[in-house]
Amino acid sequence: MPKPTVVLVGADKGGVGKTTVARTLLDYLTAENLPARAFDTEFPKGRLKRFHPAITEVVDVTAVPDQMRIFDTVSHENVTVIDVRAGLLTPTLRALRDVGFLESMKKGEFSLVVFHILGASVASLDEIEDTSAFTGDASHFLVKNFINNTTFFEWDQATQSSYFRKVKDAGQIAIPKLNEMAFEQVELAGVPFLSFVANKDPKGESANYSFVLRGYVRHWLGNVWNEYERIKLKDILANGPVAKAKGSGRMQVVSS
Amino acid sequence: MPRPTPVYIVASPNQKVGKTLIARLLIEFVQTDGRKVIGYDLQSRRSALAERFPHLVESVDISDTRGQMRVFDRLLIDRGITKIVDLGSGPFDLFFAVMEKIDFVTEARRQLIEPIVLFVTDTEAETARIYAGLRGRLKSTIFVPVHNEAVSVTFAAQDFLAGGIECGPIRIARLSQLVCRVIDRSNFSFANYITEPGGESEVHQWIGPILTRFRELELQLFANRLALFLNAGNANNGPNFEID
Repeated sequence: MPKPTVVLVGADKGGVGKTTVARTLLDYLTAENLPARAFDTEFPKGRLKRFHPAITEVVDVTAVPDQMRIFDTVSHENVTVIDVRAGLLTPTLRALRDVGFLESMKKGEFSLVVFHILGASVASLDEIEDTSAFTGDASHFLVKNFINNTTFFEWDQATQSSYFRKVKDAGQIAIPKLNEMAFEQVELAGVPFLSFVANKDPKGESANYSFVLRGYVRHWLGNVWNEYERIKLKDILANGPVAKAKGSGRMQVVSS
Repeated sequence: MPRPTPVYIVASPNQKVGKTLIARLLIEFVQTDGRKVIGYDLQSRRSALAERFPHLVESVDISDTRGQMRVFDRLLIDRGITKIVDLGSGPFDLFFAVMEKIDFVTEARRQLIEPIVLFVTDTEAETARIYAGLRGRLKSTIFVPVHNEAVSVTFAAQDFLAGGIECGPIRIARLSQLVCRVIDRSNFSFANYITEPGGESEVHQWIGPILTRFRELELQLFANRLALFLNAGNANNGPNFEID
């Protein structure tokens, strides 16, 4: 019986692109025929829910009833993706520790994957050690989201060593920069990246998006998924939910 | 079976090799054939083609996304209209980088549009290297080399093989300086020379073989498409998602 899997996508700083990464993850799960459900902790309005309304609930992760809604219903039938509000990643991990979830994970009852989205500031990098104190047996990934032309201090060996090399068990994922106009067009459309590429509106009907922008999104999404393939994310998640019987293999990112 | 609509991309990484002249010839060839045509002049500097055909050709700067949308999105609409792109040396690299990134050729073919790169050659080793690199990156794209004898007398056929189509280079013979000055005039048109072939003038003698090659190229495009159609057994625009 596969283990239930929870994926936390978060950062302790805002504006680093957590929800964007969560969206690419949900699209990846769709393409891989892995059922997923999502929790949007940008209570009360939500941000992720606008793009994946059918599978996303807006919750207040600081409220016990909503914590119960999330973690009491984690099952092997789908991957649970939690887009953690800015500033709440470490507190959420602390809460998971306090309720015994991390202990259950250590016992092999659950799988936990943590996508820690980094910003291009030293303050953001300071969070790495805070987060890693809780990740233990979880699959912990430091996600460099290149939303501008930042280099994440790759030019400075001392900074690289002091932050990235300290956390030996954390993998790294690089999310390349998406063309700004393409990103904005998807924002306006309010659809998953995959739907935008397929030229579909929120109702699933044919849209009239720019082919150039769709091409940029397709190219970018393909590169993001290559990163997920590189870290063998599918294998990590496969210990959790069961893939659907219909269809074999991954959907390609194809325009309509 | 409908004929594919060509999108001609007249390109060279170098300046002053006759790209705009070739684009002019193509426009007038298509027009005198009774077909609709529009053009895009992608030059960093003077937009000579847009100046000559102000109602048909738009000058566009593709250095930003908006300009790229203005060209590439519109190359994919109005399937019955032939499009001609005069690609200046300035935006050469960016144009093909975008073309590759957005997988333009695949989408164009789904719309029964066939992009054809008319690559104007010269004797520089770097040009041959660039041509080979482009063909390697855009493997499924049709490439037709153009040998302009006003640029170089010799043509290294082994360095400039056509891609995606069985044909030799399009040869543009050298014109005398006097005739060059005549055809460069803003009010000069090749139309009469196209519609009344076989004349004795230098322009007639010069343009005849070029037009023959243009016609052969378009026939070959249709033959290619017909062969694909017959092999596939059915025309198919493809699903929105494909499973591996």
